[in-house]
Amino acid sequence: MLPGVPGVVHVSHLTKIFRVPERESGMSAALRSLFKRQWRDVHAVEDISFEIEAGEVVGFLGPNGAGKTTTLKMLSGLLYPTSGEGLVLGHVPSRREREYLRRMTLVMGNRNQLQWDLPALDSFELNRAIYRLPRDDFRRTRDELIELLDVGDLVRKPVRQLSLGERMKVEVVGSLLHLPAVLFLDEPTIGLDVTMQRRLRSFVAEYNRRHGATVLLTSHYMADVEALCKRVIVIHHGRILFDGRLDALADSFSTTKTIEAVLADGERITLRVPKAETSQATARLLAEHDVTDLTVEDPPIEDVIEQVFAAEVSA
Amino acid sequence: MSVSAVRRESAARSMLDFYATTIRTQIQTQFQYRVSLYMYTVGMVAEPVIYLVVWTTIARSQGGMVDGLTPGALAAYYIVWTLVRTMNIVFTPFGWEWRIREGELSGQLLRPLHPIHYDLASFAGQKVPWIVLYLPIGAALSLVFHPTLHPHALQVAVFLVAIWGAYVIRSLNQFSLGMVTFWTTRVGAIFQVWFLAELLLSGRLLPLPLMPHWSQTLANWLPFKYTFYFPIEALVGNMSTASLLGGLGMQLLWIGVGTAVMTGMWRLAVRRYSAVGN
Amino acid sequence: MRPLRLVLLYVRLGVMNEAQYRANFFIAAFQSLLSVGVGLAVLALVYSHTPTLNGWTESELLVIVGVQILLGGVIHATIQPNMERLVDEVRDGKLDFALTKPEDSQLLISIRELRLWQAVDIVSGAIVVGVGIARLHSTIGVGHSLGFLLLLLLGALLLYCFWLIMATGSFWVVNMWFLAELFEGVFQTGRWPIGIYPGWLRYSMTYLVPIGFAVTVPAQALTNRLHWTTVVVAICFGAALTAFTRWFWRFGLRRYSGASA
Repeated sequence: MLPGVPGVVHVSHLTKIFRVPERESGMSAALRSLFKRQWRDVHAVEDISFEIEAGEVVGFLGPNGAGKTTTLKMLSGLLYPTSGEGLVLGHVPSRREREYLRRMTLVMGNRNQLQWDLPALDSFELNRAIYRLPRDDFRRTRDELIELLDVGDLVRKPVRQLSLGERMKVEVVGSLLHLPAVLFLDEPTIGLDVTMQRRLRSFVAEYNRRHGATVLLTSHYMADVEALCKRVIVIHHGRILFDGRLDALADSFSTTKTIEAVLADGERITLRVPKAETSQATARLLAEHDVTDLTVEDPPIEDVIEQVFAAEVSA
Repeated sequence: MSVSAVRRESAARSMLDFYATTIRTQIQTQFQYRVSLYMYTVGMVAEPVIYLVVWTTIARSQGGMVDGLTPGALAAYYIVWTLVRTMNIVFTPFGWEWRIREGELSGQLLRPLHPIHYDLASFAGQKVPWIVLYLPIGAALSLVFHPTLHPHALQVAVFLVAIWGAYVIRSLNQFSLGMVTFWTTRVGAIFQVWFLAELLLSGRLLPLPLMPHWSQTLANWLPFKYTFYFPIEALVGNMSTASLLGGLGMQLLWIGVGTAVMTGMWRLAVRRYSAVGN
Repeated sequence: MRPLRLVLLYVRLGVMNEAQYRANFFIAAFQSLLSVGVGLAVLALVYSHTPTLNGWTESELLVIVGVQILLGGVIHATIQPNMERLVDEVRDGKLDFALTKPEDSQLLISIRELRLWQAVDIVSGAIVVGVGIARLHSTIGVGHSLGFLLLLLLGALLLYCFWLIMATGSFWVVNMWFLAELFEGVFQTGRWPIGIYPGWLRYSMTYLVPIGFAVTVPAQALTNRLHWTTVVVAICFGAALTAFTRWFWRFGLRRYSGASA
């Protein structure tokens, strides 16, 4: 433990560069590759910095390949950073100290860490022994989690017999048995249907409320972030584009506002106007029409984000 | 309940629980796959039966013995061989490529437990149904090939300990071998050389006394002999009490060496994995 | 000629795939050398204790070993990868992709995979056979050579049928992970003349797992042991097995399509 370090998660100028071999298609290129190898540097994460306090639920938002999973892997100790510093709960993750591993968990969407052929309950027993949990504490936590996620009848069936959504739920139970203080959730709702997604989200919120755990969640579903996170970090091409409150995101990035008006005769009008002209447009609308209801809103967050990424690409 | 105030059980108790749970669940799982286990066993039994038939044929054509070994002694060697071979089955070093690729390794790395324990425990659990399956096969082979086998109590005791010693030595060695996968996926050649050496110097191909002298000397300096030949010979041969206990001591030595090598290689491998990613 | 075009297409794909991994060639050559070395070492060991084994001299046994290595190369390069892929796909429910293509399913699942570099064993095996024949100082007529090639092809066909029958079994016994081990174990029996095995074992190895027909019989052609009756039996057996394999495959397919959700 390092004293005086602010925040549960402390990231400073973290960078990760991968070297990948290049290969073209076709017979001649294949034969050529027998003799000469081409390499390419991929800057997966580029000089990112942020702090997360205890109990925060932070969303990591970005398209595929943005660097979200790489960041999470560095924070959970699976990858060494190329440069920069990351500290979680005062530990250097890549040292993989036992004490650190017992206080964190990484849940990856679509990945199984439970035993395939066994009922989930058996895998839970294994985790109990691995994390050295006393029996009664373990049982209490296990039963609480099973109830919260409503998987009572699923945990006795071999994991391979469960559907994707059911598997995800029992995976989550298995990863939280040791009541970690830090949760890294990597695309947890990917491939799940809408009901299951909502279930998982409300569970994460409840867990955070009950146990005060810090949650770092990556997703490319806006709905996940909207439902759970007050704070969002937008990442693209390995760089942080935005770090702050979700509702401030639109303010920073969007250049437009949406005006919705309902007229007396029932007609609905939707206008998208540049921010600067909002009051002008509203005034004109009210003057020229008989308006019964009027709302001025930010455009949907998806559109904002899309714009942001599009701007990044062209920049 | 606050997340920061979680109590812990003692390390020893948890380790025991882990092994017990893993072994129990493995036994349950393995019995589900009875049919495939039997088929696998048929393939496995082919090897010693071939050697047995070949050497017995030679013995018969040479007037009843090969280097002092009668068909009965040969039969005893190869029938016990089958049980020892079963005990030798551990996680294959070729499996590490799969582990890395499928992300199973990430899961292991996130847990505060060395992955060797999982391999040791799960394969140990598998041995129970395997041994149960072996008994009728061993009986059948005995009916066909008439082995001469009269061990006394100490031999049986040493044998029972030695087969587990062999299991641990081989688990450690193959784990270390598998670590090579972290540096190159072209591991086939390296592993083949290892297995070839093992085939020739462990007593798997034929009883070590039948091999040329130089290979017998070489075998004394390598761990292979103690994973195969020693357990078999302890049961079917005429070893003195001193050599029986001495053999167990050598097993202990190789377990120590194996543990040291494995620990070092694992550390290097994790460092490599974490630098390069997957 | 469509089947032939399809085969050539997959061969071309296989070569392109494999050529990417340059080191694989050297590794395959090295492994082939190693296994030939082991085989020869065992042979030397055996013959250091006796001049003949079941009437076969060392040079004659070299021919058997060579044929076995050669056939092993054919199996590891073409038959085994395809059968293992079939078993995997049945288990994971991915076979449907192959079944919905407008080609004969048996042909498709048999030619998709090619492990080119394993074919090195074909060369090694042929060399060992050559060395064996050279040491025998006997003349091999054109008739015997043709007979040998024909019987070799027949042997490969028999082994293909065996593999496909076993792989088709995965429609019933879903987890066939043991197939490769099972086959390797039994295939090793082919290294030795089948005459050394006790009666019941000999019959199983000739008709149940056609190792005897695949390995010993072609070797007999080159070592002047071949009776024309054996050839006739081999051809009839081959025809019957091929027909049965095809029927069994279609039977298994019907079950698969009926049973899958």
